[in-house]
Amino acid sequence: MAADSAPVIAMRDITKVYTVGGEEVRALDGANLFIHEGEFVSVIGPSGSGKSTLMNIIGCLDVADSGEYVLDGQNILQYSGRQLARIRNRKIGFVFQSFNLLSKMTAEENVELPLIYQGLHLGKRKERTRLALERVGLSDRGRHKPTELSGGQQQRVAIARALATDPAILLADEPTGNLDSKTGADILRLFHELHEAGNTIVLITHDERIAKQTQRCVRIMDGRV
Amino acid sequence: MVFQSLKMALNAIAASKMRSFLTMLGIIIGVTALVVMVSLVSGATGAVTSEISSLGNDMITVSIRADKGSPLRLEDLDAIKALDAVDQAAPSGSMNATAKYGYSDAMVSVYGTTAAYYDIQGLELAQGRFIKTTDVNNGSYIAVLSDEAATELFNRTDIIGETFTIAGRAFRVVGVLAKDDSLMSGMMSSLSVYVPFTVESRMAGQPYITSISISSANAQDMDATEDAINRFFMKRFEQDEDAFSLMNMSSITDALGTVTDTLTLLLGGIAAISLLVGGVGIMNIMLVSVTERTKEIGIRKAIGAGRGSIMMQFLIEALLLSLFGCVFGLLFSWGILEIVTLIAGGISFAMSPSTIALAVGFSSAIGLIFGLYPANKAAKKHPIEALRYDG
Repeated sequence: MAADSAPVIAMRDITKVYTVGGEEVRALDGANLFIHEGEFVSVIGPSGSGKSTLMNIIGCLDVADSGEYVLDGQNILQYSGRQLARIRNRKIGFVFQSFNLLSKMTAEENVELPLIYQGLHLGKRKERTRLALERVGLSDRGRHKPTELSGGQQQRVAIARALATDPAILLADEPTGNLDSKTGADILRLFHELHEAGNTIVLITHDERIAKQTQRCVRIMDGRV
Repeated sequence: MVFQSLKMALNAIAASKMRSFLTMLGIIIGVTALVVMVSLVSGATGAVTSEISSLGNDMITVSIRADKGSPLRLEDLDAIKALDAVDQAAPSGSMNATAKYGYSDAMVSVYGTTAAYYDIQGLELAQGRFIKTTDVNNGSYIAVLSDEAATELFNRTDIIGETFTIAGRAFRVVGVLAKDDSLMSGMMSSLSVYVPFTVESRMAGQPYITSISISSANAQDMDATEDAINRFFMKRFEQDEDAFSLMNMSSITDALGTVTDTLTLLLGGIAAISLLVGGVGIMNIMLVSVTERTKEIGIRKAIGAGRGSIMMQFLIEALLLSLFGCVFGLLFSWGILEIVTLIAGGISFAMSPSTIALAVGFSSAIGLIFGLYPANKAAKKHPIEALRYDG
């Protein structure tokens, strides 16, 4: 792969400390992580190992206490909340365990939402929405609401939403956790297809079998990678 | 972006119609109270003001209180009439007396005046003629009756040439005035009989003029007319300003205007308080809505909504709630005012554009002010915590 190119994600000595009930919890303790363009990396670790914190920091939902994080050539740590929102919007596509679709909106509207926040014109939005839904194979379900779709379909909509903005990385947090094994396998197959199409994917899981299917496996334990 | 926020806010409002309506209710009631009260006051003011101006805004009444040894006579009126600012002048002596015709009698107001009075007061004849200058000069016992006085005494109005008595003296009827439907005539005694000034002054034992009605040559500049008349009488009565007083219809209108302005302000203020309470209702519901939709806010933030976008979304929602409330309130007020107009008859109560603008402006301000806190609260939510929220 393009290991010689600049990494999409470069984390050095990332530390994040939470204070829970007066006690300091070092969720991440000097974590280092490098992910290159086009890689399909899984991050695996038991619960409480700091996976979620790592994902939040990668996804720019949270800012590390110390260390250096360079995403797609941009140093994140010094960014304000508004800039972080922009980066989330343009560089990162989230896929959550619990789908996190807006239940009052149709699948199309859900996929369109990040594009609205980008401020794109209507025509362009519709085009990108259509393409994204096509890629996950749900072109005919655009007008359905999430509650009218199966779990697997909902996750596909979520993936389409993540893809719509053409992000630098696709960040998936236990994307198969709420699905039965067959649909889970379908979703993983979709991820593989996306990987082959050139997307950079970071998949967070606690399931060894899923982790083994990926190109590279990063283990996290007690806040260390 | 604004259009999208508008669409999102509309969807959110439509998603819980009953709650949205109840939230709006405060604003609806507030706007209705504001618009109805202000419109009622301004409608009534308009009606009264137009009545007064129909009485003649170009008229000034002078009352003589002390004659300073040189009382005013009919000849003096020519000097007043000669003023540039004055069109006509007529004396108006008045007394109350019993009028009799056959077996019927009535207490009437007898006005002693001259021919000019007809034009100055803007009277209208139904039949016959008004007092003429020769009647005044000859002291003829002739009378012009108001429609009400004729009906009261004769039970009919075609009475030209009939004879009746006032305080025991016989008068011949030469004219009957047209029926006056205006509000002011209802307020004032209208059993009026007009006779030549010379006749009335003899009967009343008051040979001098104590009250004069003057019409201005220029109705647009009543102040100048008033000044001229004031100067004339100051000179006449040795600079004693207490000897006479001027009364102008426009000064009554002005006084009335001040009273109704105060009334409008007072009632509008009370209504504004209920609008304020409506605003608190909006804030309350918006806070609940923000908490309920924590997860939604988290998702929106995760996929890249900035603080501004979230803030805008909730602010527009609050603004729309109060504006919808305002629209419903305006419709409601319109209905109420139509009904009141129907009941009141004669007086029309309508919403003026400025009242509507006031209501819309006030509601938007309230929506924005009370939406600010919930919207800011939504915008400040941390994306991770918001995503974790189970509601």
